[in-house]
Amino acid sequence: MKSFSKKAMLQCVLLLAATILLAAGCAKKPAATTTAVPDTTVSQDMGQDMLQTEGLDEMALGESAIDESAAGYGVATTAVPALQRINFEFDQYTLSAAAQELLVSNAAYMAANPEQRIRIEGYCDERGSDEYNLALGQRRALAAKNFLVSLGIDPLFLSVISYGEELPLDHSGSEEAYALNRRAEFKAER
Amino acid sequence: MRLFALFSLLLLLLAAPAAADIEIRAPGQQTIPLASTKLLAQGMVPAQIVNDFDQTLNDDLLLSGLFSLVAPNSFLSDARKIGLNSSQVDFGQWRLLGAEGVVKGVCRLQNGKLVVEARLFDVTHRRLLTGRRYIGAQSDVRRMAHRFADQILKSLTGEEGPFNSRIAYIGNSSGHKELYLMDVDGRNGVRLTNHRAIVLNPDFSPTGKELLFTSYRAGNPDLYRKEIYSGREARVSARQGLNIAGRFRPDGREIALTLSKDGNSDLHLLGTDGSHHRQLTKHWSIDVDPSWSPAGDKLAFVSDRQGNPQIFILDILSQQVKRLPTAGKYNATPAWSPKGDRIAFSRLEQGRFDIYTVAPDGSDERRLTFGPGNNEHPRWSPDGRFIVYSSSQSGPKAIYIMRADGSGVTRISPAGGDCSHPAWSGRW
Repeated sequence: MKSFSKKAMLQCVLLLAATILLAAGCAKKPAATTTAVPDTTVSQDMGQDMLQTEGLDEMALGESAIDESAAGYGVATTAVPALQRINFEFDQYTLSAAAQELLVSNAAYMAANPEQRIRIEGYCDERGSDEYNLALGQRRALAAKNFLVSLGIDPLFLSVISYGEELPLDHSGSEEAYALNRRAEFKAER
Repeated sequence: MRLFALFSLLLLLLAAPAAADIEIRAPGQQTIPLASTKLLAQGMVPAQIVNDFDQTLNDDLLLSGLFSLVAPNSFLSDARKIGLNSSQVDFGQWRLLGAEGVVKGVCRLQNGKLVVEARLFDVTHRRLLTGRRYIGAQSDVRRMAHRFADQILKSLTGEEGPFNSRIAYIGNSSGHKELYLMDVDGRNGVRLTNHRAIVLNPDFSPTGKELLFTSYRAGNPDLYRKEIYSGREARVSARQGLNIAGRFRPDGREIALTLSKDGNSDLHLLGTDGSHHRQLTKHWSIDVDPSWSPAGDKLAFVSDRQGNPQIFILDILSQQVKRLPTAGKYNATPAWSPKGDRIAFSRLEQGRFDIYTVAPDGSDERRLTFGPGNNEHPRWSPDGRFIVYSSSQSGPKAIYIMRADGSGVTRISPAGGDCSHPAWSGRW
């Protein structure tokens, strides 16, 4: 019994040692050596970590070297007073009667300015999961787009983007604020 | 890293019988009284170094919930005596104070490098449990303490601690939502991106040194990856519409994410170069927030296919989708535990999110947070002992850590701005 367990242990150690050698052979960088020897001779080299700290410094420099020009985001757009935003119910993307009326009015502007590219932006209130709200904002923008297309607007001149709950109009967190933030906006692309 | 893991395994096998004397159960149930003495300086060492090591180590040990620390002002003469091996430690003194374990160590400056030697002794059996020597820059002292805390946990429980790892999160203190990185205790914070747009929802690669995230930098929510040390960054997916919630498969070779390129939001599988491997869900519903099972054979995700947002589980091979049977009308942000035994998620109820965990079959649901404010975006520590999450319990959103049972809530992110969407790296 005893000899068996000893043998098993030995095999286990040999197997591990072989794997370690293999792994060491594959490793690109020398790994930190870790040895636990009882009492006086204990050693764990932090060499690798030191390299990493230097890496951190490098990264910080690289960061400030990143272009300073990336100001703003998205395609340049202008708000057009004639293009009115529409609002939605919580966790909904269906168009209310009021929203449909506003879309008809927006479509009239678009029909009168047929060469103008329009970007439809979908937004959510700050409640709910961020990722889910990104998808919900996408749906709201798409619902508005599909309705405009059904009114005869050329889909080639309509693009959609979702900002989820990232850019609320009103940060106060009241029910009124949430209702205001659940919206789709229509911008003229420049 | 792999070598280190194998070594750990080897050491674990050899050390297993010896580690069983101090008994450790679940955190909080019964703590081990531990005396953590300050490092003794050999020669001139700035007091700050000694204090930083002491504070970092003790914070980690307390956060683990496994220890109670013996009051340092009750320490007797042995705390000031260098003890390199068990014969040099006056165990009687420590037994008198009720300590079952004692941490002793020395530090010195050698050719400009900081050398720290730390040891954990078993007071009852008068022997060394573990010892480590660390050599590094003086600024590495906190990292040495984190690594020794991990080592103490390993020698007593058989499983390494999670303290030598990193937490990525989204912060807006620059005026824009950008990607940040910090230590597990919130120190050494650094901003990683300067997109000046909206950066969202990071995820670490399994090897740890790389992050996935979504950014509006180019005007569309596109998926990016960034190497942490080189700073190199690449856009992985810029398909029309959403390219969000990218999650590395545990083998690191593929990425699950939500795309809306065909109009509807579905889950897709990409190569790490952004090439399209296949569509994972095809349903009229919103499908978002994938989280891999540790084996990489299943994905938990959020879908409104039954009306409200709920968590579903997709079997990658059979492509079958099953609802994770939980209560509540709005469940989101699932996170599969590294051992595969639990799924953490957040539930919206009465206008607020709280964090829960549940077994992958939907049984044994446990509520971990009870407000105030929103508690959401749970992610697991690499050892599954802790959950990091974002909370607005004290005003602006901040990053918190708690144990997997909801105890030990500790705020870690620095003050200033909203902090959300934490992601916990693997061991560094």
